[in-house]
Amino acid sequence: VRGARAYRTLQDSQLVALVAEKDADALEVLYDRYGKVSYSLARRIVADETLAQDVVQEVFLSIWRDAGRFDAARGTVSTYLLAMTHHRAVDVVRREENLRRRRTTDEALEFEPDPKPGVEDNVEAAERRDQVRAALAELPEAQREALALAYFGGYTQREVASLVGVPLGTVKTRMAAGMRKLKDALHEPGLSEEHPPWSRR
Amino acid sequence: MSHTDFEQLAAGYVLGALEPDDENTFRRHLEGCATCEAAVRELEGVVGALAYTATPVEPPPSLRASIRREVNATARPRSARPAVTAPAQVRPIRHGWTSGLVGRIAVAASIIAVLALGFWNLSLRDQNDLYQQRVAAFEQAYQLLNDPAAQVVHLNQGAAAEQGARATALVSSPKDKGVLLVENMPALPAGRVYEVWGIPKDTEAAQSAVPGGVFRPSTGISLVDFAMPIQPNMTFAVTNEPGPTGSRKPTTTPLILGTAATA
Repeated sequence: VRGARAYRTLQDSQLVALVAEKDADALEVLYDRYGKVSYSLARRIVADETLAQDVVQEVFLSIWRDAGRFDAARGTVSTYLLAMTHHRAVDVVRREENLRRRRTTDEALEFEPDPKPGVEDNVEAAERRDQVRAALAELPEAQREALALAYFGGYTQREVASLVGVPLGTVKTRMAAGMRKLKDALHEPGLSEEHPPWSRR
Repeated sequence: MSHTDFEQLAAGYVLGALEPDDENTFRRHLEGCATCEAAVRELEGVVGALAYTATPVEPPPSLRASIRREVNATARPRSARPAVTAPAQVRPIRHGWTSGLVGRIAVAASIIAVLALGFWNLSLRDQNDLYQQRVAAFEQAYQLLNDPAAQVVHLNQGAAAEQGARATALVSSPKDKGVLLVENMPALPAGRVYEVWGIPKDTEAAQSAVPGGVFRPSTGISLVDFAMPIQPNMTFAVTNEPGPTGSRKPTTTPLILGTAATA
């Protein structure tokens, strides 16, 4: 008898292979691992609980339908899942223009300060967040701002240029430089690799 | 546009922040450019990693339930869960032999039900000998299910059958083995047991009946395995006999019985 416990020892890519065979338990373990971070990201971008839930549900159902299309050679499951969450959440924000009016630029568009200790009960997610924050802290303020407006605000490069008051070409340069630095800083064992299977709730 | 320009667009592309014309231009370029494809792949890792900077918020439990509900409609059933529905699949007893796949599937469902009920009983009783007995019977039933020569016979006559008892035998002539599944038999007084019999065609039960083992009615379905020469058109019957070992020949009228039709 295969128990939930056995599933939790599997790698992400093994779980996706089971999901491709329509194994609902495998999908649920993926949800255990990434549902929270996916929801947290979606909520941050759309600033609405119901819409954020819709985004996460779409993401997991999309994996359910198209798990066979996941290509492990192209990237990790977590990247696939979280990049998809980002993409869909940004789509929602652009569709629902009123969402943007509801929130102030300051509250939604900065990378947030470190949360209070105890907010995160998942050690590995906390470690990963620390790494990304450290990498962000190394960026010049202008690059960080451009990335935050695009990433959390869902603004296009032209919109960012207009909000910040600089030429479009400058925004393109800032985003490219910022992303490249982040990529180099985060390109370490552990971050780009498959999640170890033992560490999550 | 120089290649450096394309490389610059890759960042905006993975962030979904390109203007539509830039996006179209970059997409077209991406199809034939391994360098940019590799760059996009690496930058997508950053897009995923940045998710962790959002303040963690626990999703409501209803989200998990909602996903599960959507998924269940198309999920492959979990093979280890038949116990919930199997007891309802025990078919009403019909006349004669039912050989072939349909009969065996019905019996398979019964056996799975028995196994489930058996282990449920065990958790209540914790009786090791009962455990051994049930496992042996189950193994025999399982082997018979895989035997293409095995036949199903429904015991649908007799006083107990009229009062709602049900019994089904699965027997194999080449192997001279069988299993009886019984449910809803009347309760027995202390010191009495039910005994299973095989009665060859056109013979007197009192002389010719072959004993096939004893059992006491339990919650749910009882499973009795037996070994005897299995002959064509044999009758299978259950009588009330003195315990604990039963009788060598039946001493009472069969409470439930059925005869195998010609295969």
